[in-house]
Amino acid sequence: MFLKMLLGALARQKRKHLMIAFTVGLGVSLATAMLGVMFDVGDKVNQELKSYGANLNVIPKGASMLGEMYQLGGDEGGGPALSELESDFIREDELYKIKMIFWAYNIVDFAPFLTLGVEAGGRQVPLTGTWFDRHLSLPTGDEVDTGMTAMRSWWVLEGRPGDEADPGGVLVGRELADALGLAVGQTLEARAPGGRAATLRVRAVFESGGDDDRGIFAPLPLVQDLAGRPGLVQRVEVSALTTPENELARRAAQNPGSLTRIEWDTWYCTAYISSIAYQIEEILPGVRVKPVLRVAQSEGAILSKTQLMIILLTLLTLLCSSLAISNLVTANIMERSVEIGLLKALGATGLSISLLVLSEILLAAFGGGVAGYLVGLGLAQFIGLSVFGSTVAVKAVVIPIGALMVLAVTLLGSLPALRALLGLRPTEVLHGR
Amino acid sequence: MGSNRSFALRMVLWSLLRRRSRLLVALTGVTIGATVLLGLVTLCYDIPRQLGREFRSYGANMVFVKDVVGGRLGREDLEAIRRGLSGDSLVGLTPFRYEPVRNNMLPYTAVGTSFADVRLTSPFWQVGGEWPSAPGQILLGADVAEATRIQNGQRMAIDGRNGRQERYEKDFTVVGTVRTGGVEDGLIYMAMADMEEMTREPGLADLAEASLASGGTGLAGLEARVRAAAPSVEPRLVTRVTRSEETVLAKLTWLVYLVTLVVLSLTMICVTTTMMTVVMERRREIGLKKALGAENGRVAREFLAEGLMLGILGGLIGSFCGLLFARLVSYSVFGRGLTPELHLVPITVLASALVTIVASLWPVRKAVDVEPALVLKGE
Repeated sequence: MFLKMLLGALARQKRKHLMIAFTVGLGVSLATAMLGVMFDVGDKVNQELKSYGANLNVIPKGASMLGEMYQLGGDEGGGPALSELESDFIREDELYKIKMIFWAYNIVDFAPFLTLGVEAGGRQVPLTGTWFDRHLSLPTGDEVDTGMTAMRSWWVLEGRPGDEADPGGVLVGRELADALGLAVGQTLEARAPGGRAATLRVRAVFESGGDDDRGIFAPLPLVQDLAGRPGLVQRVEVSALTTPENELARRAAQNPGSLTRIEWDTWYCTAYISSIAYQIEEILPGVRVKPVLRVAQSEGAILSKTQLMIILLTLLTLLCSSLAISNLVTANIMERSVEIGLLKALGATGLSISLLVLSEILLAAFGGGVAGYLVGLGLAQFIGLSVFGSTVAVKAVVIPIGALMVLAVTLLGSLPALRALLGLRPTEVLHGR
Repeated sequence: MGSNRSFALRMVLWSLLRRRSRLLVALTGVTIGATVLLGLVTLCYDIPRQLGREFRSYGANMVFVKDVVGGRLGREDLEAIRRGLSGDSLVGLTPFRYEPVRNNMLPYTAVGTSFADVRLTSPFWQVGGEWPSAPGQILLGADVAEATRIQNGQRMAIDGRNGRQERYEKDFTVVGTVRTGGVEDGLIYMAMADMEEMTREPGLADLAEASLASGGTGLAGLEARVRAAAPSVEPRLVTRVTRSEETVLAKLTWLVYLVTLVVLSLTMICVTTTMMTVVMERRREIGLKKALGAENGRVAREFLAEGLMLGILGGLIGSFCGLLFARLVSYSVFGRGLTPELHLVPITVLASALVTIVASLWPVRKAVDVEPALVLKGE
């Protein structure tokens, strides 16, 4: 009897139920899309912020940044003289280990650098050797492509990008190229202090907007040969995806020894910049890893702000779609006053009437919710693809949140109206107004 | 008799309650729509600007040097630059002066600057200890502090030669260490006044950094203004910062716009369906009115007038809630208030009225078209 009435009602009052299904569907699709974007926006924005370059500097323990060039400092020298001590260098053949730390998958790119002052075109010029785009096969079986090209996204190149397969091809800074009258395709002679010399061919002229514009970037083996330091590099820049710092991370950065066992585990297993730095120091002996705070801190600030913003927007959306759904359900039930009065007059109990009405509404809501979920998935992908150019990974947790929301909201919307109607005598209702 | 009176009373009350709750449902629907509309559109205006300010944490995006190699910026140059940049977008302008100095015969580079401005242009500096606040106080880069083993609170003697080759020497108190992971770690920072007093050469800076909350064309305009105000100064964009900011900010802004678009359109549809349900419920009333001789146009006009009033009222309440919401987001995310775009309020009210009318139009037309007898008989 109950089932028959339920099915009958669903079939006869198609329009009303469709309306409920439609509104619930809209609400759920909104919720799904927003929650999907909310859970994934951190990773996406983090990836985008990688365009600011490396956030970790790996240097040998003995060395410090004192020898680094000053930004626009006006020194005309061709870079500092190379140290004689092997402990002032990092071994190139150990660098693959950076991709084998606990947070290996968060290491987006890394590139080694070796800078040598050479004489080229009659003046002292800093010549920097690096990996442009190196392919590495790790002992773990993973294949990795890494190098400087991706870490200098702000460079404007005129010519072809650096290539590992072209051992004599170099990138020349705009200022230097203008001063020496160099153009793409030309060659120049570079003489190192030790008397070694090499012929460089200009693959591209780049504009970085910084000091690099006065230097030359070449494949690493070429510079190692000129410097007589085979297999050695001076420093490594690492670009890693990190979690914004919190109190724990700040304490750990000061002194990892001050943490309790549990705190230490939490810190070690979270992608804080300090824990990634610590792990690289663990795996590469004799190095010091310094977070580049300009990049690391800004990343944290922007990331947490963006996430908070999206969370608040999502909450607003959830609230509004909940209100809209319960509003509609209230309207729907109020419309049924005559029907409910008639049922009561025919002797139905309050419970059975409530059950009947609620199952009707919930069934319609369920149908709408499933459709809305699918539409929401599509919307989330649409947002992800058009903003970030990659799909949004919608977490499974969105489904229970959406289902709970629909259930709670539908019940909350139905019950007060139902109670009000059930409290009335059939005569009053059937009488009309 | 008592039961009869109470029956009549309940009838009246019920009718009022019914009408009121129906009104309330409709009003809630319209208010939600207006809240979302105004709140999101206000945020859309505001968020790109606010996020742009957040990006200033990456530090300076324009650098000024003298147009001759090795030249220095004088005090009047700095003032001219500040004049050229003056406006809302200037977050900070910091001069830097580099001098080779010695401590215990070992070479270092001392930097004269303005600490109040550095805190604005380079918010990423991590200072252990205190910022210098009195004359004779300095900050050591973390690497310098490590190499010299000088602790906070200890004294440090610095000597060197000025441009006229006169020897100078001065005692400083180290009050803090600065850590950035970059070149700053290897420098010694002092106030510009201390630097001038120590070297006996006033008013010179090697370069000045400006942090400007502005993007591509805005920066180009500021650059041109500085060139006009200080012809001997060469402004340079820090492309690393500006170009990355442009790409990332564009994506974030686009994200906000898209989310707004999706949320807004879906919410409007939601409001429409609610209004439809509420109006559909009144088909009997329409039928009755028609049976009593009301013309179609008259009935429709009545409903439209009702919709208009609902839209205006809901729009006003929603505008208020929307502004409140936008303020809340702005405060809790960016820690800053926002200027309410009041011209959006009439637009919101208008849009709400429009949505309400459009939503009522369809069911009213359907009800009006139907024979009154059919409607009154029920379904």
